[in-house]
Amino acid sequence: MTTYAQRPTITASTSAPTSKGKLFVKFITSTDHKTIGYLYLITSFVWFLIGGLLALALRAELARPGLQFLSNEQYNQIFTMHGTIMLLMFATPLFVGFANVIMPLQIGAADVAFPRLNMLSYWLYLFGGTMTFVGFLTPGGAASFGWTAYAPLSSAQYSPGIGGDLWLVGLAISGIGTILGGVNFITTIFTMRAPGMTMFRMSIFSWNVLLTSILVLLAFPPLAAAFLGLEADRAFGSHIFDPANGGAMLWQHLFWFFGHPEVYILALPFFGIATEILPVFSRKPIFGYKGLIAATIAISALSVSVWAHHMFASGQVLLPFFSFMTFLIGVPTGVKFVNWIGTMWRGSISFDTPMLFVLGFLITFLFGGLTGIILASPPLDFAVSASYFVVAHFHYVLFGTVVFAMFAGFYFWWPKMTGHMLNERLGKIHFWTLFFGFHTTFLIQHWLGIKGFPRRYADYLASDGFTGMNMISTVGSGLLALSMIPFFINIWQSRNTPKVTVDDPWGYGNSLEWATSCPPPRHNFTSMPRIRSERPAFDLHYPHMAEKSGH
Amino acid sequence: MRSRHIKATLVMLATTPFLSGCSTDQISGLGFEKGVSSVNDHSLSLWQGAWIAAGVVGVITLILILWPVMFHRKKNEEFPKQTAHNNFVEVTFTVIPFIIVAVLFYFTAVKESAITKVSADSQVSHQIEVVGIQWSWQFVYKDAGDFPAATVTGTPAQAPTLYLPQGERVKFTINSNDVVHGFWIPAFMIQIQNLPGVENHLEFSANKLGTYPGRCNILCGRNHSQMLFNVKVVTPAEYQNYLDSLKALNQLELDKAATA
Repeated sequence: MTTYAQRPTITASTSAPTSKGKLFVKFITSTDHKTIGYLYLITSFVWFLIGGLLALALRAELARPGLQFLSNEQYNQIFTMHGTIMLLMFATPLFVGFANVIMPLQIGAADVAFPRLNMLSYWLYLFGGTMTFVGFLTPGGAASFGWTAYAPLSSAQYSPGIGGDLWLVGLAISGIGTILGGVNFITTIFTMRAPGMTMFRMSIFSWNVLLTSILVLLAFPPLAAAFLGLEADRAFGSHIFDPANGGAMLWQHLFWFFGHPEVYILALPFFGIATEILPVFSRKPIFGYKGLIAATIAISALSVSVWAHHMFASGQVLLPFFSFMTFLIGVPTGVKFVNWIGTMWRGSISFDTPMLFVLGFLITFLFGGLTGIILASPPLDFAVSASYFVVAHFHYVLFGTVVFAMFAGFYFWWPKMTGHMLNERLGKIHFWTLFFGFHTTFLIQHWLGIKGFPRRYADYLASDGFTGMNMISTVGSGLLALSMIPFFINIWQSRNTPKVTVDDPWGYGNSLEWATSCPPPRHNFTSMPRIRSERPAFDLHYPHMAEKSGH
Repeated sequence: MRSRHIKATLVMLATTPFLSGCSTDQISGLGFEKGVSSVNDHSLSLWQGAWIAAGVVGVITLILILWPVMFHRKKNEEFPKQTAHNNFVEVTFTVIPFIIVAVLFYFTAVKESAITKVSADSQVSHQIEVVGIQWSWQFVYKDAGDFPAATVTGTPAQAPTLYLPQGERVKFTINSNDVVHGFWIPAFMIQIQNLPGVENHLEFSANKLGTYPGRCNILCGRNHSQMLFNVKVVTPAEYQNYLDSLKALNQLELDKAATA
């Protein structure tokens, strides 16, 4: 006979720190996945703002032909650090932040598998990232060889100066933090799911965290190895990336073997956020849950076999293979669109701010995806590769995914994280300013690229005919920057709004984080609902609906 | 009803690209000029076709996104039907994208092998070596004889000019003296990397008289944005004259060196 121990009643401890000093000590010593997640979110958002300011400097310089206030060298440093910060110090750790805060809640775990390793990952990221950035304070300035650091430009001979060394070692350290984060998430998902939480009841966001973490383990070790190898060339005179030994191509292969999965490391978690939000505001389950997971697995698998499409113009890669594999990614991506649209179809849609940002993501990413199909074709890539067409393409893909979905996630989970709702009116002002600012900045850049403006140019001639288009883009970037103001006012104001008293302020949440308080207690749950579908919180709040759908 | 009008307009918008049924000759080059180079002859129709396909897919998807946004808004507190999947829809929309990319890949493979085809040295009458240097270009006209004066070297302040004979195929050898550069002639729809330690080859003809800008498009250091050149397409006779003048210049240089 089986007997059950009486489940102990856990009361949520409300030992909120009383002074700013105590709060600070709590933040830097905590092993709570939520606190570490907040640290990740805050730090990466600060880098987003710094990277954004650098972007404004680039846009200001490009508004008119001639060099107005930056030198060539300063311009190169600034776009190098803009790319580095946005990809490796903002977007990647932003994924770690969201995954840390949300994923353990969604699988019904009390914390991640290795809480102290989690904290170590954060410190590696913070110090590695800072180390990369302090190159600006050295006499030679920060690294200026582009975030792609092509050999041999990145060698000691062509890019002397400590800035490049700080960049390489800082990113290697930060990359180790990311790898450890991936290990932590995979272990957590495989071993710490609540009873009843089978893999095929897990939320799409958590699935995407799992697949992203696997990609991290595939992509980041080669990157760290390549960076340390290049540093050995620079500091100890080894010849790993010496062009005489084929080093120029070796670097491109190693870098893009990281670089392409990296795009999906950035995209998948944010696809996940969009997929969490759409059903809640459509009041329907996800359309084609298993198909969506299959599509994500397919994308992850394909993403490690397409790296050389960044190297079509190198003349040294097998064009048909990498072109076909790249085209194939369009298929599961199309499936995702069908799932997202299908979720909204015949729903009962309301347009709260998180939903608006998700719609902004869908429309922006759609266009980025279509130009991606164009670039997947080598003959067309030969026409516009390494031009502003590509700059526009990857900003549509990455800004469209990461930034739109990040704000969607902020507005959506703000009550879960802080216990306060964000203001809807300010949120909508924020969305529309960001949307128009973004598209004004980047849509025109497709034409700039087609007309022959190469990326990473500090200057152009008045006779080139680029002036008008560059000016429009710069004006757009100003609007984009202004859109941050309503967001800041919003989070500042939210301190004084009434506390959220219910578990699910949106009313139709599906995943488990909506079955615990806002914010959750130290170990996340005081009681665990029955998990009998991929919508445990919805089943809990609407038991009659759960019965109807026959779970 | 207002919403019915909107629906009808949306459906018409979606079908416009199919109904208009224009051939590729009638539509513009979408940013590129026809007949400028042998590469354009291959790539331009693919560029147009790919954009038509992207436009159709994009407009339909956009309408499918905006349709529920406009017509399936929350009207009351009742739950909508909790549809969780539809195998027919899901399979259909897996097969359709596959067909689209398969067709695109077919045309890609055909065009791409035509563009990247390079003849043996003995079969081409013009050979030019394009060397990337920090931060300008060196053009070595091999058929002007193998001596220094056939070489034209630019500086960041003085962009060099690459002369090409109209309508005649030229084989290019592309390499670099220092770091990676990118040899890009936007109007010709072609680019290839100048790699140190590696030789790349390219073959095409320039078919329309005129001057076209060329730019380095792989970051190569401080003066990357000054690494410009011009392409001047001239008649074959003028091209011959230009090569002769380079030869004469070469002789002058040699004489100078001998008397010094």
